[in-house]
Amino acid sequence: MSRLSLALLLSLITVSVFAQNDLMDLINENNPAEINYTTASFKSTRIMNGHSIEKMAPGQLDFRISHRFGTLNTGAYNLWGLDQANIHFSLEYGILKWLMVGVGRGTYEKTYDGFAKFTILRQSTGAKEMPVSLSAFSSVAINSLKWTDPERTNYFSSRLSYVAQVLVARKFTPSLSFQLTPSYVHRNMVPTELDPNDIFAMGAGGRMKLSKRISLNAEYFYVVNPKAYMSQQIYNPLSVGVDIETGGHVFQILLTNSVAMIEKGFIGETTGSWTKGDIHLGFNISRVFNLKKQKKP
Amino acid sequence: MKRLYIPIVIISIFLFFFVSCYYDNEEALYPVIDTTCDTTNVTYSVTIVTMMNNNCYMCHSNKTAAANGKNIHLENYSDVVANSAQITQAIKHTGSIPPMPSNGGKIKPCYITQWDIWVRKGMVNN
Repeated sequence: MSRLSLALLLSLITVSVFAQNDLMDLINENNPAEINYTTASFKSTRIMNGHSIEKMAPGQLDFRISHRFGTLNTGAYNLWGLDQANIHFSLEYGILKWLMVGVGRGTYEKTYDGFAKFTILRQSTGAKEMPVSLSAFSSVAINSLKWTDPERTNYFSSRLSYVAQVLVARKFTPSLSFQLTPSYVHRNMVPTELDPNDIFAMGAGGRMKLSKRISLNAEYFYVVNPKAYMSQQIYNPLSVGVDIETGGHVFQILLTNSVAMIEKGFIGETTGSWTKGDIHLGFNISRVFNLKKQKKP
Repeated sequence: MKRLYIPIVIISIFLFFFVSCYYDNEEALYPVIDTTCDTTNVTYSVTIVTMMNNNCYMCHSNKTAAANGKNIHLENYSDVVANSAQITQAIKHTGSIPPMPSNGGKIKPCYITQWDIWVRKGMVNN
């Protein structure tokens, strides 16, 4: 039922905003004033692990490779985690001005994932004032591990997980942006009766530009479900890192306690804890290709 | 009507993603019928040591760990507790840690269940 109310809430927001536009158009008929849309709230489509409101323009293709090493507390012999690797790579494409899709594959549970991100509101000043940018994010993840017990009846549905998020961000100053990400993760199959199939979390992330090309990012998801009786001890994922932008590349180097790079993995299934030293060094590399000639914005 | 086009498309794609929603969990879907698997009396000294003896000590005992087990010792209680998170990932073949046993097999489900129960109950040295 929560899915239906979320959908209704979204439709209410968009309908009321469009009504406002009609009235504003009447006033500005004779002197059409300029609307300044805020751009580049974040340097990349991810804050650290989670999505930001940034999107690919139509015709832009983003090839992302993400890497998380092992944990720092595995000591010098394992080079503090560098000997162990978890990867995720994805191709993300802008279809329309307000729609971006992506597909990917990662080491975590050998998952194939796909997502769609919709831009609903854009922060703007001028003729139309909009204090925040708002996007909706939806994804499906398919776990492709071999069945633990091939003899019993295994269902394909048991491999699926779904994620829905609302991304609300505001660029406060040219250097400072902040985003809130209420999230909902649904896992079709969980190990025990006490594990929740539905996980609710509130994410918060932000970035602070240190120079024209470098920004400091941080992100935290607070899992609302009580963690006491789950089959494994989970923690809230916290990530901090640096974004370095060079021409067509964005490098994100980060420290995090979650090994997965998709929402289904890091929101409800982070088993590492910062206080115990389960910190993974990681990086995301994003390379943007323009497949179509970009029109001047 | 044209103004509502975008929200309708967004909501229908959202709902499309959620059509095969199930609320399954393994315990309910696959009740353990194996009557020989003792899930009530799980102790370190009997259950876990037996499981390790049958599947792990050939590479991870105090004598063999350096040569065959990448120096991961699992014979002592303290080592097992220290490595317990990795052991869980390895025996369940989740993909983030090399799957164990490393000869390509998987330990029997009864052992995995007993390991989970021992961990959940606080990894007591009993």
